Formats: sequence, structure tokens, C-alpha cells
Amino acid sequence: MNMNNVTERVARCFSGVFPDLRREELARASTASLAGWDSIAQVTLLSSIAEEFDLEFELEDFDDLVSYALIVDYLERKSIDG
Amino acid sequence: MRLNQALTIINSRREGGESEIYYLACGFEPLHLATLLRAHLLERRTGQKNVEVRHGVYGDLRGNIESAARSPAIAAAIALEWSDVDPRLGVRSSGGWSDEAKADILESCPPRYTHLESAIEKLATRMPAAIAPPSLPLPPIGNTIRAQSSVFELELEQQLAAFLLRLSRLPGVRVLQRQRGETSGLDARAELLAGFPYTVPFADALASSFVKVLCQPTPKKGLITDLDDTLWSGIVGEIGVAGVSWSQEHHTQTHGLYQQMLGHLASCGVLLAACSKNEISTVEEALARKDFFLKPESLFPVQANWGPKSASIALILKTWNIAADAVVFVDDNPMELEEVQITHPGITCLRFPKKDATAVWDLLGSLRDLFGKPLLMEEDRLRQASIRASAQLQELGAEAADPDFLRTLKGTVTLDWGADSSDKRALELINKTNQFNLNGIRIEEGDWRRRLENEDAVLAVASYEDKFGPLGKVAVLLGTQHGGKVKVSHWVMSCRAFSRRLEHHTLDGLFQYSNAEEIEFAFAATERNQPLQEFLRSLGILADGEGSQRISRAAFRERCGALPHEVSSPASKLPVR
Repeated sequence: MNMNNVTERVARCFSGVFPDLRREELARASTASLAGWDSIAQVTLLSSIAEEFDLEFELEDFDDLVSYALIVDYLERKSIDG
Repeated sequence: MRLNQALTIINSRREGGESEIYYLACGFEPLHLATLLRAHLLERRTGQKNVEVRHGVYGDLRGNIESAARSPAIAAAIALEWSDVDPRLGVRSSGGWSDEAKADILESCPPRYTHLESAIEKLATRMPAAIAPPSLPLPPIGNTIRAQSSVFELELEQQLAAFLLRLSRLPGVRVLQRQRGETSGLDARAELLAGFPYTVPFADALASSFVKVLCQPTPKKGLITDLDDTLWSGIVGEIGVAGVSWSQEHHTQTHGLYQQMLGHLASCGVLLAACSKNEISTVEEALARKDFFLKPESLFPVQANWGPKSASIALILKTWNIAADAVVFVDDNPMELEEVQITHPGITCLRFPKKDATAVWDLLGSLRDLFGKPLLMEEDRLRQASIRASAQLQELGAEAADPDFLRTLKGTVTLDWGADSSDKRALELINKTNQFNLNGIRIEEGDWRRRLENEDAVLAVASYEDKFGPLGKVAVLLGTQHGGKVKVSHWVMSCRAFSRRLEHHTLDGLFQYSNAEEIEFAFAATERNQPLQEFLRSLGILADGEGSQRISRAAFRERCGALPHEVSSPASKLPVR
């Protein structure tokens, strides 16, 4: 898995799925704060990130990764582990 | 296309103003298929309107098809999967795979297909509908190993094939070829997680196929073929008429395949001509050989001389009266192809790869794509004969325009005023005619149906027949009537019908049918509509540039001149205004 520029690449994926999300709102973005982040958007977002980082999420990840911060943290841990 | 590419394309076109609406009907969550479909539509429709893809609810394909029919969409894509036919054939069901269940599945599928067929038939009266047959694998419930088909699977396939065959015969329905990939397109994990059954690459291939089928380019009209080492193997001028070959026996079967393909294209109404550097007498002798796969009259005209091929092609285009961009030229010699391409930039040049059988097979596939159309019509069959008749008229020169001469043709113009939105020929004419075209504006099939639903709509479809034979439906006029005025938004006439004063008959018929005092034309000059412009000028209509041009009933009567043909209207569709 290529983990260069994790935050930049995750930001790009967020921008693809939530084009109206401002950059300064990104760090606090979560399913609770973002009205458009529903279950369909969650699948699209994680599919987009999976494609970007060439990885596969586990089923439980779809329940757990519910904010930008959690996703970045998950990817950085993957990078250290991997 | 990858998912992230699709999202980028969609976001780059967000500020597009008005959108064209498409409907994706499926029984699963549309998810990436909707995203990829939208991106492919945007790519295909570069520079045009934005695209919106609407869809229905999970688990109700039939309801979604009915919802599509009520929507303002201009076209629909239907993704059918086995689970839509019976949920027990999907990943998410727990209905059991016992022998009793399998028997019940086989019994319950036919009525399910009947219901779907009814919904699709209604949908297709409103908009073109493309349906993709199930492409995901059936559950592994056969008694055989996977490499061997089970009776259960074959019975399901038989029912499906019968259903698709019935659909393919419905006007407006286009059945996609089944997706064939090296691996299964099933993503069981995504199906269980989100109700979306496809891998992204598979969804991309399916979306791409939908767009190819729903947004088909205008088919080419004519094919000009070289002869030596293309239509046959060998140089006829060197080895003689008996020496050239196109058979398996002579190891020259690829040329025989090509001849058969041209014969097939001719039967579909494609114009064929030959262009060769040869003596005409030698060529005529070769084309008369009894074992030739093409009927000799299929090739018209045949240009055989020693001049540049671009000049011969110019003469063929003049005879056909069509532009180079509607034509394909096939030759084995790259130098000849380049010479023609430089002189006729719009023409599609294809090399005949005489030494590579696989490449020849691929070439035949490319020809299918270049000339393929959703539906064959009677006019396609008439085209070749009417081109010959037009050529005979052209040879008469100015004499042919003389009304006294035209009367000798014993022509009949049939003006059909019924606003029949299922008349594919009328829409085809509007969308492929360039020279006699009021403004060059094309109409999507869904939009066409909406326009004809308008109670003010006026549609005239003109057919023509004379002693040279029928030309079929050759002109279409579309507009709306507002009291004593008819506003014409579209008016086209096939180039095969030029020089017969059909345009005069059409306007005369319109004044009679509508009882209007004035006709207004939404005219716009295009690069190619000079014949239309000349006609408008001849009636004094085109006086002050673009925009709405008008003519009154009195002015038309004064300037129209002779109307040399008999005119008829189908009895059931006589004017009712």
C-alpha cells in the first residue's frame, strides 16, 4: 500500500464524494456533522479510498470509520503495520 | 474508468445549468453503477448539457421501471439480475435451494418475465430503454460441477432467452449483449454490505455498454471498397479475371468473408461502391463472375480508372449525394488511404489487413459498429435503388427540374399527418439529414415523444413513389400550430428526394392541413444546409438572415409554381383541424 501524502489523498477522496465540503471543515467532518454522509455516501467514500490506496476494507470498517480523523488514523496505522 | 475518475468527471461538470435526465432502473442499490453511468454519459456528451441519473428503490425492479416511465427522463437503462427474477437466485436470500424450491423457481419465473415485459413495453413508448441481461453467475446449486451446465441452469437460460427475444422485438427496446469478462463481476461482499452486487470494473463495463447502446453515433451510410487485394485476392490486371480468388480452397477466405460482410451490409441498406485503379472492362468482367458473393448491382457506382482515388471517391460521393463523413473507405494500401484521407478529411479510412485473418475478423466487427442501427426500416431496403434512380435524374441535368418532365415520372406524394411517436424513420431522418435541414437541430428520442404528445404538435411525414420505384419516407416537418400560424421547428428532406419539388408539395399540404394563414420557420444557417437555404430564397422567405422566417398563404400561392405530383393522405389520418 502506497501511504505517501495520506491526508492529501484522503482529502481528494472526500472532495470527490462531498464536493461542497470546504477544506477547513474537513478535519471535523463526520457522519454526525455532515448531512450528506449517509450509508450510501459511506460506501462510496470508502470505495473511493480503497481504490486510491489499493486496499480492501473489512465489513466492520464500514461501521467504525465514521469521521475524517478516524479514517486518516486508520490509514496511518495500516502504514506503520504494513 | 475507475471510480475516482468518474467522481472527478462528475464534479468538474457540476455547474452545467439544465440537465438531461436518464433513469437507471435496477433492483439493487445503484451506487457505483449510477456514478459510472453518469460519468460515461458526461464523457460521451462532451460540451453539452449536464447529466442527471435518477433511480428508484431497492428490491423493486418492476416498480422502478414503472417509475421511470412516469419520470421526465429521456432514456432508461435497466440492469436485470437473476435476483430480480427470483430473489432465491441472489446472494441475500435465504429461501432455500431444495429440489422443491428449484422447481418453484422455474415455475415462478415466466409470470415474472411477463410482468416485467409489460412494464418495459409501457416504458419504451415514452423513451428508449436499454436492458442488460443478468450477467452475474447463478448460485452454485447445480448437481453438476461448475464447468458443466445443469438442467436447472439451462432451463433458466431458456426462459431468459425467450423473454429477451420478445423484448428485442418491441419498438424502443434495445437488449444489450451479455457482459463477458474473464472473471465474474460479482462482488459478494459489497452485495451483502450495501446491496450492490458488482465489482467496480464490472460496473464500469456495464455502464459503458449502456452508454454505447443508448447514445449511438449516427450510422455511416456508404462504404467504398478497393478491389485488388481487398474485395478479392490478387491484382486482376496482372493475373486475369480467373486468377483472382476469395475462397478457402485458394487460402484467400478472408476476402470471401469481406465480400459476405459487404453483402450483409447491402441487405441492411448500406450504399456500396467500388474504387479501383484498373481498366473498367476488366473490373466489369471480374464483378460478373458467378461465384461472387455480392450481387453485381450492389456496387454502384463502380469507378475504375488510373487517376487518383480521391477523385474517383469525389465522383462517388456526388452520385450518392452524401458527405464524406458518412462514408467508410476500405483499401489494403496505406498510401491510397492517406491520399484519400488528405483530400476528404471527414471520411473514415480503414486498411484491409490482407495477411492477418484475425485482424480481418476485427475489421468486420468494426464495420458492424460503424453501420449498425437499433432498427432496420423499409427505407433502408429502398436506398440503393433510389440512388440509382436519382443518378438517372441527375444525368438529365436541368431537364429534370422541369415540371413537365417531373409529371412524366407519374409521382405520388403521400403526406401522413398522424403524430405517431413510434415512427423511428421520421426521427432518424431528423437526426441524420444535413443538406435540406431547417436548422441542424437534432432531437433525442425521449424529447421527440414529448413533443408529439403536445396537443398543438403538427407532424408531416412525406413519402414518395414514381415510375422508378418507391423512395419510402423521405421528408419530415415538425412544428406547432397556434391559431392561424404554424411554427415549424424542424424540417428535413433526404438528399435522395431532391429535384422532385417534394418541398413545394409539403408546404402546400401544410397550408391545406392546418388551414393556417402563415407558416413561420425556425431557420438557422449551418455549414451544410445550402439546399434548404436556396429553397427558402426561391420562395422569398430567406430575406433577412437567421431566426424566424415567414411566408403567408397568399405569398406561397404566388411563388410556389407547379406541383407536378399526385398527393394522397392515408384515409385514417385525414386533416381534422
